[in-house]
Amino acid sequence: MDNVRTFCIIAHIDHGKSTLADRLIQHCGAVEARDFRDQILDSMDIERERGITIKSNSVTLDYVARDGRSYHLNLIDTPGHVDFSHEVRRSLMSCEGALLLVDASQGVEAQTVANLYLALEYDLEIVPVINKIDLPAADVERVRTEIEEDLGLDSDGAVLCSAKEGIGIEDVLESVVHRLPPPTGDPAAPLKALIFDAEYDPYRGAVLLVRVMEGTLRPGQEVLLMHTDAHYQVEEVGLLQLRRVRTAELAAGAVGYVIAGVKAVSDIDVGDTITEAERPAGEPVPGYRPAKPVVFSSIYPMSNEEYPELAKALEKLKLNDAALTYDKDSSAALGFGFRCGFLGLLHLEIVQERLRREYDLSLILSAPSVRYRVTFADGSVRWIDNPSEFPEPGSIERTEEPFIKASVMMPERYLGQVMELCRERRGAQTNFHYLAVGRVELISEMPLADVLFDFNDRLKSVTQGYGSFDYEMLDYRDTDLVKVDILVNGEPVDALAQLVHRDKARPRALHYCERLAETIPRQQFKIAIQGAIGGQVIARTTINAFRKDVTAKCYGGDITRKRKLLEKQKKGKKRMKMVGSVEIPQSAFVAVLKTDKD
Amino acid sequence: MSAGLYIHVPFCASVCPYCDFAVTLAGEERRQAYVAGIGREAALAAADGLKFDTVYLGGGTPSALAADQLGEILGAVRGRLQVGEDTWTFLEINPEDVSAASVSAWRELEVRTVSLGVQSFDDAALGFLGRRHTADDARRALDRLREGGFATVSLDLIYGLPGQSADGWCRQLEEAAARSADHLSCYQLTIHSGTVFGRRQARGSLGEAVEPVQAELFLLTHRVLAELGYEGYEVSNFATAPRHRSRHNLKYWSHEPYLGLGPSAHSFVGRRRFWNQRRLRAWQRAVDAGCRPLEGSEELGDAELALEAIMLGLRTADGVDLGSLRSRYGVDLVELNRRAIERFCDGGHLVLDSGRLRPTVSGMAIADTLARELEVGASG
Ligand SMILES: Nc1nc2c(ncn2[C@@H]2O[C@H](COP(=O)(O)OP(=O)(O)OP(=O)(O)O)[C@@H](O)[C@H]2O)c(=O)[nH]1
Ligand code: SF4
Ligand SMILES: [Mg+2]
Repeated sequence: MDNVRTFCIIAHIDHGKSTLADRLIQHCGAVEARDFRDQILDSMDIERERGITIKSNSVTLDYVARDGRSYHLNLIDTPGHVDFSHEVRRSLMSCEGALLLVDASQGVEAQTVANLYLALEYDLEIVPVINKIDLPAADVERVRTEIEEDLGLDSDGAVLCSAKEGIGIEDVLESVVHRLPPPTGDPAAPLKALIFDAEYDPYRGAVLLVRVMEGTLRPGQEVLLMHTDAHYQVEEVGLLQLRRVRTAELAAGAVGYVIAGVKAVSDIDVGDTITEAERPAGEPVPGYRPAKPVVFSSIYPMSNEEYPELAKALEKLKLNDAALTYDKDSSAALGFGFRCGFLGLLHLEIVQERLRREYDLSLILSAPSVRYRVTFADGSVRWIDNPSEFPEPGSIERTEEPFIKASVMMPERYLGQVMELCRERRGAQTNFHYLAVGRVELISEMPLADVLFDFNDRLKSVTQGYGSFDYEMLDYRDTDLVKVDILVNGEPVDALAQLVHRDKARPRALHYCERLAETIPRQQFKIAIQGAIGGQVIARTTINAFRKDVTAKCYGGDITRKRKLLEKQKKGKKRMKMVGSVEIPQSAFVAVLKTDKD
Repeated sequence: MSAGLYIHVPFCASVCPYCDFAVTLAGEERRQAYVAGIGREAALAAADGLKFDTVYLGGGTPSALAADQLGEILGAVRGRLQVGEDTWTFLEINPEDVSAASVSAWRELEVRTVSLGVQSFDDAALGFLGRRHTADDARRALDRLREGGFATVSLDLIYGLPGQSADGWCRQLEEAAARSADHLSCYQLTIHSGTVFGRRQARGSLGEAVEPVQAELFLLTHRVLAELGYEGYEVSNFATAPRHRSRHNLKYWSHEPYLGLGPSAHSFVGRRRFWNQRRLRAWQRAVDAGCRPLEGSEELGDAELALEAIMLGLRTADGVDLGSLRSRYGVDLVELNRRAIERFCDGGHLVLDSGRLRPTVSGMAIADTLARELEVGASG
């Protein structure tokens, strides 16, 4: 086991983790030249299109070190975006060490710090790696200072490399084998294997990715999933070497996959421990902290018939995305759906996109919301993230909303604009301090709700890409929350209701009214669209009736075409949502509920 | 039920920038081949066994053919198909083709309705529309046709042109009435992709009138023409008396059978609709080879036919014949749509009386919506 190393690559977004993984894979000859493509571990289409890693991905490599010894390296590439820190956490739990990558021109950024702390939480050995030294703007000395001062790590040990140019790759591998510890664990002990990820294979059922902590996993074994108490027989085990490679066993220290004919997705709990039924381990591996969702939105299928498919899809997606939470929900306008919890807006967007692509579902999502704490006159407390559950205002004693401590790292010259941005978002206690010469960290306490929408985009544009943002949850603070209803000809459209701070109610309501007026096709009667708090109208628009739509000509040669068009329209009409007597196309919901830019 | 015979004459002297008909600038040689081709196609179509009481020469510009060519066509169809004694013959004419000689030749061919492509009595509008005649040409042509003694003189007008005022349009209608047209076809300008106007629209330099203006002009047209003594018996068609209605076009709107000859022409026989090759060359190749020049066909079920019957009926003042809808296609429209019909009647769009569901003028204006809103049952 001395020749095994299990490590992950962690860093701020875009610092080159996946590119470094490419070089390590190639150096170890794990892929034929003709099968290679950039960021090969970013295997999902969405990852490739967006150029970011969304899922951790592991690969086992064979490396012959300079001293002639051979090693088995289990490498896990992780995502850098905050919304996927749950992925990073799970990866860290199966590793002994981590390569902490820092971009030589960008330096230490918010997620560099955050991920380092995560790794330290799990007692991992850290090797700092300065990447992108090929860039003209690379400033290795400055970055060394930041590693010392912002991270508190010894920068003499930092390995220099350029993942893109393939410089220093062997140095990286040598420090992996010499500076990171081998796993401990006894192959003969009772089995303990941590499930750190899973995916659904339509032919084989759930494929579990495991790190064997103790004991040995073999086909034929009767195993027990400790949290869910489910029994299965192992069918196959193996290593991940860009594809599944079957092996005879997975012994303590190994990272690989297990197939055990698990068709009931509910039996799988990522973070659970697999043990042997005959000779169970005493305690499971300490589980993950379940992800704590901060953003909530209801997901509805475009057409109600797709509801059962949506239910199945969420169950399977959840296997592969442990951070996703969901519960049944329903809306008068949109029918049955699910109330889902996400780690952030990007997470929400990715889930929606994966449901669309991997399960061929088209969806409508309600406006994202944070979770509020409502205290009633009788002292009882309820957590509310769904506008439909917002109680009668008269019964509420106080409402609190989540505040975050936002940290923005940036070159000094952007400080003024970033402070302004924080002020706009109801930031309080805004402070800053110098990190190194010319670099500041700004700390501000802000309501999470105000950060949800496009804060990151605005920050990027204000700082020309040099600002990075991270946050931690702080506490709940008093707020003046109102429920804004959107009414179409007097009928409230439940799916469009939202909870907002009173100060933002009017602009938000008006924005919704205007978007609806643009997207609801005119009908034979006038349509009034209103935004209201309680019974009081705070915004309104109208859609005038149309009085003519008939085509000028319809002779012998036009009839077939016209009938076909009509048949198509009638089909489309069936998919329209009715609010009172007003037809609202799904596209209107989609347009109105598209992540707001207000 | 007697059928209608439509003959598509695809020739024009130039192509108007808004036109999306199957037209060609082909010259004499191909025209002659075409005339012979119609004869062949008529012979092939005789097998359908239809009996005709209307013949409609449309286009394109039928008047662009020489009178003897038209004679040859009419002779061929009259000889090879069952065209009855009292058949009503229609001819579409462009003003530049009208002369004393052509008028008397058309009379000799027993044309009863002439339909003159005036489009406008305004030279600027004619220029915009790319027409080859002036307003005065149109006036002269109209007088000649009037004097020619045809049973019905009809004219085509286009409205909703960019910059055209409601007043300007009213004056057009008044002039048409003053020149005692028996029948008017008034088409709101529609821009089709694939035309010169379509390309201009795509570039953003041209557009149809916005809907409120379109609606205004449409309702105005029906109102003014009613005052001038014309009954709007269809969305775009008006007649001073029932005998001047286009009995050929009425067949399209009431699901009577029709046969189309010539490129792009559509036919409806029994439950089958089929249509010819759109391009002259393809059509010609087929008929010269002794084949029916078909491009496509469809066999219609009850639900489809019912949907068409409603869609077409709601375009006409006579509306939908509920009894015939039930007996022909098994659809009880009122039963299926009580609430909707009530709503549209209350809204002043529909009237339900003596077994018919009729659109009012404002209902006709939204005939497409009405057809979409009314359920036809299972597959509709
Ligand atoms: N010049 C230069 N560019 C690099 C280097 N390493 C990576 N890049 C570029 O940096 C960008 C981001 O690289 P990735 O490997 O996708 O970064 P990542 O850290 O995996 O990003 P996330 O997974 O989204 O957090 C890509 O355009 C790479 O080509 C390097 O050493 N030099
Ligand atoms: S004359 Fe008529 S058919 Fe010919 S191009 Fe002009 S509009 Fe089209
Ligand atoms: Mg990556």
